[in-house]
Amino acid sequence: MASNPIVRVRGVHKYFTRGSEQIDVLNNLNLEVPEGEFFGLMGPSGSGKTTLLNLIAGLDKPSEGEVWIGESLVSRMTESELARWRTRSIGFIFQFYHLLPVLTAYENVELPLLLLPLSSTERRRQVLTALDLVGLSDRLHHRPGQLSGGQQQRVGIARAIVTDPILIVADEPTGDLDARSAEEILNLLGELQKSLQKTIILVTHDPRAAQRAQRILHLEKGQLVESQAAPESATAIRDLVAARPSEGIQKDRR
Amino acid sequence: MTELFTNPLLLLCAVIAFVPLLAGIVLIALFPKLFLLVVKNLRRNLLRTVLTTVAIMFLVFMVTVILTVVYTLDLFTTEKSKDFKLIVMERWQLPSQMPPTHAKYLDPDPKNSQFLLDRKDVTPNDFMSWSFYAGSTEPDPKKRNLNNLAFFFVMNPHHIRPMMDDLGDLDPKLVEALVQTRRGCLMGRERMEALDKKVGERFSVYGLNYKDIDLEFEIVGQLPEGRYNKNAIMNEDYFTQAMNKYALKNNGKKHPLDMKRLNLIWLRVPDDATYKRVAAKVESASVFADLPVKCETASSASSRFLEPFRDLLRIMKWLVVAILISMSLVVANAISISVRERQTEMAVLKVVGYQPRQILAMVLGESMLVGGTSGLLASTLTFWLFNSIGGIPFPLLWFAFFVPWHALIWGLAIGFGTSLLGSILPAWSARSVKVSEVFAKVA
Amino acid sequence: MKLLFYLFLVVALLVGLIVMAALLTGLAAIVHLLLPVAKVPLRYNLRNLQVRWKTTAITALAFTVVIFLLTWMLAFVQGMNHLVKNSGHPGNIIVLAAGSNDETYSNLPASVDVRLLPKNVQEMVLKDGDNFWAVREVYVVVNQEFIHPKTKELDRRFVQMRGVDDVKMAARLHGLELQPGGQWFSGKTYEVVLGASVAKKFGADLGKDAVEPGDEVQLGSRKWRVSGVMKASGSTFANEVWARDIHVQESFGRKTETGPSYSSYVVRIKDPSLADKASDLVDQERTTEAITAMTEKKYYENLSQTNLQFMVAAIIVAIMMSIGGVLSVMNTMFAAISQRSKDIAVLRLLGYGRWQILASFLMESLVIALVGGLLGLALGSLLNGLTATSVVASGTGGGKSIVFALVVDQLVVFAGLALIVVMGLVGGLIPSLSAMRLRPLESLR
Repeated sequence: MASNPIVRVRGVHKYFTRGSEQIDVLNNLNLEVPEGEFFGLMGPSGSGKTTLLNLIAGLDKPSEGEVWIGESLVSRMTESELARWRTRSIGFIFQFYHLLPVLTAYENVELPLLLLPLSSTERRRQVLTALDLVGLSDRLHHRPGQLSGGQQQRVGIARAIVTDPILIVADEPTGDLDARSAEEILNLLGELQKSLQKTIILVTHDPRAAQRAQRILHLEKGQLVESQAAPESATAIRDLVAARPSEGIQKDRR
Repeated sequence: MTELFTNPLLLLCAVIAFVPLLAGIVLIALFPKLFLLVVKNLRRNLLRTVLTTVAIMFLVFMVTVILTVVYTLDLFTTEKSKDFKLIVMERWQLPSQMPPTHAKYLDPDPKNSQFLLDRKDVTPNDFMSWSFYAGSTEPDPKKRNLNNLAFFFVMNPHHIRPMMDDLGDLDPKLVEALVQTRRGCLMGRERMEALDKKVGERFSVYGLNYKDIDLEFEIVGQLPEGRYNKNAIMNEDYFTQAMNKYALKNNGKKHPLDMKRLNLIWLRVPDDATYKRVAAKVESASVFADLPVKCETASSASSRFLEPFRDLLRIMKWLVVAILISMSLVVANAISISVRERQTEMAVLKVVGYQPRQILAMVLGESMLVGGTSGLLASTLTFWLFNSIGGIPFPLLWFAFFVPWHALIWGLAIGFGTSLLGSILPAWSARSVKVSEVFAKVA
Repeated sequence: MKLLFYLFLVVALLVGLIVMAALLTGLAAIVHLLLPVAKVPLRYNLRNLQVRWKTTAITALAFTVVIFLLTWMLAFVQGMNHLVKNSGHPGNIIVLAAGSNDETYSNLPASVDVRLLPKNVQEMVLKDGDNFWAVREVYVVVNQEFIHPKTKELDRRFVQMRGVDDVKMAARLHGLELQPGGQWFSGKTYEVVLGASVAKKFGADLGKDAVEPGDEVQLGSRKWRVSGVMKASGSTFANEVWARDIHVQESFGRKTETGPSYSSYVVRIKDPSLADKASDLVDQERTTEAITAMTEKKYYENLSQTNLQFMVAAIIVAIMMSIGGVLSVMNTMFAAISQRSKDIAVLRLLGYGRWQILASFLMESLVIALVGGLLGLALGSLLNGLTATSVVASGTGGGKSIVFALVVDQLVVFAGLALIVVMGLVGGLIPSLSAMRLRPLESLR
């Protein structure tokens, strides 16, 4: 299966200058994610994960190098081109869902479609399809405040796929969920990858989540390295704790 | 200073201004850490603090301006009970144009035998008569405008210090100069600037209200900063002489306004009983039968001129109320946003052991600090600004509106009052924050 | 002093620039809202305002107060303007003593007559057979003594009196009619006709709503019989007392050694469109007496120069007050944006552009302004028709006391709407600009 790489990061350097100091965040990064792959990205806080995500989403430009998403040279597009491109090409899923609290589930999922030249009937069809795919057809007009964590995340996923993007980026999607909901969400993501051939980049600390990925890379000191052995290694757990000292004990919803 | 105790409204203002000020100072001294917390909070969202401060300053500025106008007019129209002035003028018509002989009957000068009244009631220091002479320095009628206009009080210079409002402390040398220089005049700063003349210079004036009476003047002195900025005072002897010269030039025919040139006569009496006595004598005197006069207090005469502006003044008073409401709303908005953002913090403070009343004090302290400071600052700036440019340029008849010193008290009181009003509810809700509720939301 | 003035200019210029920027941006945002292009849905903003209804209400109320006040003040000024405009007849020209522009200071001799006007102007004057439509008038302000109905003490007030040589002609010239039950005075005895507003004012002395024909009023040293009361005319004449010219002249010092004097001479020009030309001709072709002429329209325009001052003062006050409202909405919007920074980040990630975000928040601020402002406008329009007193003057002294009704007309409403929009946009511009500059992924982590 000669699939074209959806994500091509070539020779990317990213540094920030603070006063007279230059801080290198990403160093000669190269990455290729083929179409349809479920790719896992791990790494401690401060490793540059956010910076890399910014570059992939076109929210920032590399100091050197190129970023290709599909056929688009994202690192050279203008801001307005990028805004249009993002709607059509990337879907984001977040740890804290980030739904607009005053809009209903339906309206939240509809948001990206309002940017596309669709008729209202077409829009409706796509929103209902997306919500059906994530199993929330009975909660269309509920606001996020009336939904559980797991349900909110499903709305988030529906929103991420409703424009049929070529890439889905999931940033700690299960971080705020109890074990059961997390399981459901990860299953859902797996389904999307298998049945819709969606390319998924999963950024996570959670070893269980990382297990679902077909390939895992670690971002350490601005460089990508192969995954270590068993994810339940002491290093991973230490990383887990070290990464989020302020979060303390995970909430466990039973 | 005495006004503070005679005017109940002002006293109220002073209470609202100084009680929180003193209470604040005491509290700051007793609980410096709490005060530091308050200041830190204000600095944290500096933008909000600045926006609120600026808003309050603008509104207090407006209130100060309007209250100054209302206060000044009130001053002129309130009957005094002692040592007040009376005006004698034509009884029926306006403008008041009396023959100069009318003054003779009311002049208490010791050499005057025609004086009608009792010298115990009205002494030589209690009398003044005015004519008004207006003219232009521009000979060509088509080029005349407000900038080459001059308006003169025509009077006896010896009456300036005893009788003219605000000129009681006029430099006696200036009075002497006016007496010595018959063609002299004393002029206010703004009029001198408009005519582009300085003390010592000479100029000609072409009569406007007295046609063909053209006069030459020398400025012998400047009137002090205040309500006479736009006017001038000239010697009545010179005016009389000019009238006589006119008659001579015209084969003895007098100027049409010769017997109409006396406009107002001022008298001062010590109390109400004397006023009634004097007024009765003046109004019933047979010498005035042909050209009847009336005698009334200066304040009631002023009231009458202000009568048509009554509705306008009412709108202005309502404006003040509206502005105060606006101010409370501005503060209420800012403080309630601030309290809502800091609910967690306040819950933490409670957990740590702060009393609800201390939380209340903190929020109130925050808003009153901002309110009081902005109010005081704004009223001080308004005071300084307008009093250095000759008063508030509100074109109401002949009044000059200088901001009184107690505007500073108004500013402080309004600042404290409105911020207290605006922050009472948010402060109460901050005080009653339920610790458990807040943490449930966040977690 | 100059320094202060320049400082003020600089600040005013800066503010002007901000206002201009806000207006342009706002206009663009409104157009964007109306066009069928992609935009952040308005319901997002509206629902947020609903959720934070207390803050929305407090912010909006500040606008209500400002706009209500502005409407009241402008209704006052417009009422004055309407009254004054209504007082002049388009075909009338008024002749005054040379150099005057106010009848209060004008002195014309008794000989003033149509024949004093240039021949070509005489031909333009309307006539009924041999009777010219012309009247001599003498206007005086009289000090009236009366017993105050409440305090029962002697009080005084100013009364505007107009002595005319032919009262029926004067009524025709000025478009005035009598209320039923009254008559124009014959002029043989001391009689007066009162304007509608004056009749009401004097009525209070007699314990009635208004003075009626047959009642007596005291003016000067004698009593005058009221022969009639004029119908409400919405003009300055409603606040006047009319009498025979000779009676006014002898009672109120308008008799000089050279004879009685008048203050004005009013004539009607046959073709109203030629009134301007007629008055210009009088000025150009000087006759023996020193007179000047102008159309009544111009006369009253001149007389209402202080109206302009009132208008300017009202606008200045409104702008100063609106600063409070603007800064308050700025506070609210800054807080809202900071609280909803995650929403903004999400919208950016979904592909909404910076300018769409700006437009969205600008609209939210405008909605707050509209909600509050329209309420203020509605309340203010209730004032339409209320009676008020004021003074119109040319600014060089003198002045006519007038009684008029507040008028909330298109100008007033438009001014209110304009201020609402400007306030909303200026208050929302700077916070919305800050919303634009958000970095999405940073805000979400």
